[in-house]
Amino acid sequence: MIVVVGLSHRTAPLEVREALAFPREALPQALERLRAEVGLAEAMVLSTCNRVEVYGRAAAPLAPAVASFLADYHRRPAAELDPFLYRLEGEEAVRHAFRVAASLDSMVLGEPQILGQVKEAYQIAEKAGSLGAVLNALRNRSISAAKRARTETGIGENAVSISYVAVELARKIFGELKDRSVLLVGAGKMSELAARHLVRGGAQATVLGGRTFQRAEQLAAALGGKAAPFESLRAELARADIVISGTGAPGIVVQREDVQAACSGRRQRPLFLIDIAVPRDIDPRAADLPGVFLYDLDDLRSVAEANLRERRKEAAAAETLVEGEVLEFLEWRRSLEVVPLLVELRQRADEIRRAEVEKARKRLGPLTPEQEQALEAVTTAIVNKLLHPPTVHLKEMAGNGHAREHMGLIRKLLGL
Amino acid sequence: MTSRAYLLMTLGFYAVGALQILAQALMGRRLRGNLTLTATLLGFAFHTAGLSQRWTEAGRFPAVGLHDAASFVAWATVLVFLLVHLRARVEALGLFVYPVAFALMLVAALTPASERDDPILKSLFLPIHTTLAFFGYAALFVACAMGVLYLIQERELKSRSPRRFYYLIPSLERCDTISGRSVIVGFGLLTLAIVTGVLWNRAAFGRLWTWDAKEWSALLAWVIYVMLIAARQRAGWGGRRAALLGIVGFGAVAFTFVWMSLTPGVSAAAR
Repeated sequence: MIVVVGLSHRTAPLEVREALAFPREALPQALERLRAEVGLAEAMVLSTCNRVEVYGRAAAPLAPAVASFLADYHRRPAAELDPFLYRLEGEEAVRHAFRVAASLDSMVLGEPQILGQVKEAYQIAEKAGSLGAVLNALRNRSISAAKRARTETGIGENAVSISYVAVELARKIFGELKDRSVLLVGAGKMSELAARHLVRGGAQATVLGGRTFQRAEQLAAALGGKAAPFESLRAELARADIVISGTGAPGIVVQREDVQAACSGRRQRPLFLIDIAVPRDIDPRAADLPGVFLYDLDDLRSVAEANLRERRKEAAAAETLVEGEVLEFLEWRRSLEVVPLLVELRQRADEIRRAEVEKARKRLGPLTPEQEQALEAVTTAIVNKLLHPPTVHLKEMAGNGHAREHMGLIRKLLGL
Repeated sequence: MTSRAYLLMTLGFYAVGALQILAQALMGRRLRGNLTLTATLLGFAFHTAGLSQRWTEAGRFPAVGLHDAASFVAWATVLVFLLVHLRARVEALGLFVYPVAFALMLVAALTPASERDDPILKSLFLPIHTTLAFFGYAALFVACAMGVLYLIQERELKSRSPRRFYYLIPSLERCDTISGRSVIVGFGLLTLAIVTGVLWNRAAFGRLWTWDAKEWSALLAWVIYVMLIAARQRAGWGGRRAALLGIVGFGAVAFTFVWMSLTPGVSAAAR
């Protein structure tokens, strides 16, 4: 049985998650203890800033034991952790594993990091030798389901962080960012982050510096662009495609007239103004100018929220897809339940066959090699033909989940 | 199968495509074009077979009268869309193309086929002139549709609170580029269509111009597109103004097409 015991951003506050986190280098030893002390046959630990979870396979219901291990390991009273922990077994555990990998359980829905973290956690478990056939299958199936969800639904599309939203908007206006010019007014941290994304997309950066020209030069060098004095604002505006303004100035830095003057020399090229300063740097009335798209911090936030709503819509499709994969995995797992029975059945049939062949041989006396062969062949064929329908049907019943309840009857009918 | 049977099959497939894409857009879902595209490809195959069947039945090139013209121009539009789709996947373009293809086929299905059989229709100018013209219309339609998409996307971006279309429509740059290229192709075809039309006039009636309304509207469209292309190349026009002009130009093109299909003669002089 597959078990998952842990806590996440849904059930526990940050300080509890921090307290239960496993440092990377401690994982091999923790996995070893989970097997030796708790008795898990297979184990994996997923520890990120948003969740700490133990995945395991056990013959008996070991979820409570895993829970008390978590408390012991981190030297916390078990009762204190209790309200934050979930203990999932069987189908629930499998579903959880799939949903986590597909980023359906993430704090930021559809964020891409979780899949990498899941992969890494399995790798560490594999190296530590605590991964067996079952968790390995869970790993492969849940990762491939997560990839499908990402490519076949829009769950990972549309940026939800401010700096990426700015980049995405730039792409919605200009398409390719290659050789577009970005003008940074002021050299703040936020502008730098957004500018870096744009430069990575192929844009050229210019940094306008005021009193602290040195800082502008440093940032320009870091972005592979050039620095210019603040006085050249109008000339640079006329050249720029994207402007990111984030000075700490108390008043308006870029006047509507500046933008208007720049527009006349632009021949209808769109101009994307991003104002991430508080208080604002760019005159909001500049938004009325034709071909000018002005976004302030609030606008970027509202786009991020709209994007998140889009993701939630796509999440429904992703949930359906992942559920299909979960059911397939469960069916495959159940079909394995009858494997020991089938092996036993086969062995029993073969014993009978051999015994009967032996008896026949005694009665028939010496046989030619051809006759020997024919005897073997005919008896084997009879056994195989007889066993074929029950084998197929048992696997099917097991897959549907009907085998378990009738196991006693099945054994009796087959004489086992 | 008769050409009408083919036509109804085509109509059915295009209906599936149109309903599918409109439903996706209305439900605010991502446009996933695969099913739509499959339906359209199947429809297009039946459409092609139907046109060739109709050619045999009519005994002349199937581009005379509303029934044939609507079907043929729908065929050209779908083909041009598929070609654009091969180069640049713009699912949102389907929002215009699928419903229009369906509507044109519906018109074709509801109108009787023209039985006209003038000597003038035996001319080699009929297939040449109409093919050039119809493919020109299709390309100019794509240009117009991309222009409309441009205007919608621009409004979305200006509003600063993206709604459905922000997600469905590609970047302004892309809309503008595809629209600009389609105008060039469409304009080239339109020019050739006008030239062959004039030559056909001369061959049939001994004069170049027959003072028919569609000749004037074609000329008007041609002048609008000359202005549009010149403004794009010389003055760096793009985006909004180019999109608007492309839409106006297509208005003249649409009039030309409708007038041509409804008036029974090749031109007024034939009456």
